[in-house]
Amino acid sequence: MINQPETGDLLAEARKVLLESLAPDLVGKRRYEALMIANAMGMAIRELEQRQQGEPGKTDQALRAYLEEKSLDNSGAEAESALATAIRERRVDGDDPALRSVLRTLTKARLRVNNPGFLER
Amino acid sequence: MSAIADIFSTFIAQQTGARSARVIDFDKLSGGAIQDNFGLTLELEDGSRLGRQAFVIRQDAPSGVAESLSRPEEFRVLQAAFKAGVTAPEPLWLCEDPGISGQVFYVMTRAAGSASPRTLVKADFSEDQRRTIVRRLGAELARLHTVRPPQESLQFLEPPQLENPALSRVVLYRRYLKEIGEPHPVLEWALNWLEDRAPAPGPTVLCHCDFRTGNYMMDGDRLTAILDWEFAAWSDPCEDLGWLCCRSWRFGADHREAGGIGDKQDLLEGYREVSGVDIDPATVSYWEVMALVRWAAIALQQARRHMSGEQRSLELALTGRMVAQMEFDLLNQIQELEDGQ
Repeated sequence: MINQPETGDLLAEARKVLLESLAPDLVGKRRYEALMIANAMGMAIRELEQRQQGEPGKTDQALRAYLEEKSLDNSGAEAESALATAIRERRVDGDDPALRSVLRTLTKARLRVNNPGFLER
Repeated sequence: MSAIADIFSTFIAQQTGARSARVIDFDKLSGGAIQDNFGLTLELEDGSRLGRQAFVIRQDAPSGVAESLSRPEEFRVLQAAFKAGVTAPEPLWLCEDPGISGQVFYVMTRAAGSASPRTLVKADFSEDQRRTIVRRLGAELARLHTVRPPQESLQFLEPPQLENPALSRVVLYRRYLKEIGEPHPVLEWALNWLEDRAPAPGPTVLCHCDFRTGNYMMDGDRLTAILDWEFAAWSDPCEDLGWLCCRSWRFGADHREAGGIGDKQDLLEGYREVSGVDIDPATVSYWEVMALVRWAAIALQQARRHMSGEQRSLELALTGRMVAQMEFDLLNQIQELEDGQ
């Protein structure tokens, strides 16, 4: 089905109106609420972009490659869940640079959606 | 709104023995979702508190949840802290009869100034002022930590489950994660790290457990009151010091380790001056890591309140999306600690 303009475009434009036209006239609690809405919309926009670029799949692949390399159960629907369980059960070495690297990959992927500015800190 | 102001002013007039109490100002103060805080300024005629007096009344919100201390418990903690010389609002009267205002409430003195963390972190303080403020924060904690168990009035506070409060916390946060049921490999990894490196415990003391920038009032560069006592618990002194220094509570001023205001060294110096105890900065760093895990667990719980429908809220939902920040800080901070930075 063709349904133009695209959802990401609609959201980005709506966010722009909110921030540039509405928010400047608001104060106190209302302004805080407008900024929260803009924040939530920003996350939705970035999540759509990341999906279009196939990013979630790449992150999942990195996790699965790690689980496979360590001969850990990789059959479940959620690689993240398998990794969390393996760590909790101490089946992986917390000091292993490969583990830390995969944890970093996962966290950065989330931050690219939730708060890309935080990655620069 | 004015009906409730009248109820409180009548209550205060009775407590002070005032002949009359005229309402000068009444407003609902910002605060948590769990409590309602009201500011009430009265002109009192006769009685034990004469003239213009500013009070804060704290009571459970109608949708109150019992995850932290009750109002009477909080009142007793505040009394203990105030008695120990901590700069806190003076706790005045507790009303346990819900028939008066509809809820259990207590009255305390109102401190001047603001607690806004962003304002405070951005304030144009000189280096000297920063040193003085941060030393004062250390001194305040040292005074609070003179309160030790057992205390007749604080029997509702559970002692740590294990001999080492750090390990008690690890057990507790693992339980939180399990209850939340969402996979968080970074938090599991950090909990293992904390379990393996728990330092020898300090004495068990009364901890505020939410002592951070945003929870104390400042009037200019002067500390006027430490607020929000509902998470107080018996724990290790370094839990409070670590919470204050946690990266999340520096509000972007990362290089100022003590609450985004000043240096950790000055904080510990202020602590030492009052307590005579030299705190190892490495132990505080350990508790900063603990603080990141705790804040992440709390944020996940808040998001669950939204997701379960218990309390639909955009703010709670967004808090859930902040957890990746705590996880990123954990990865960086643990790496830095290991690299000896």
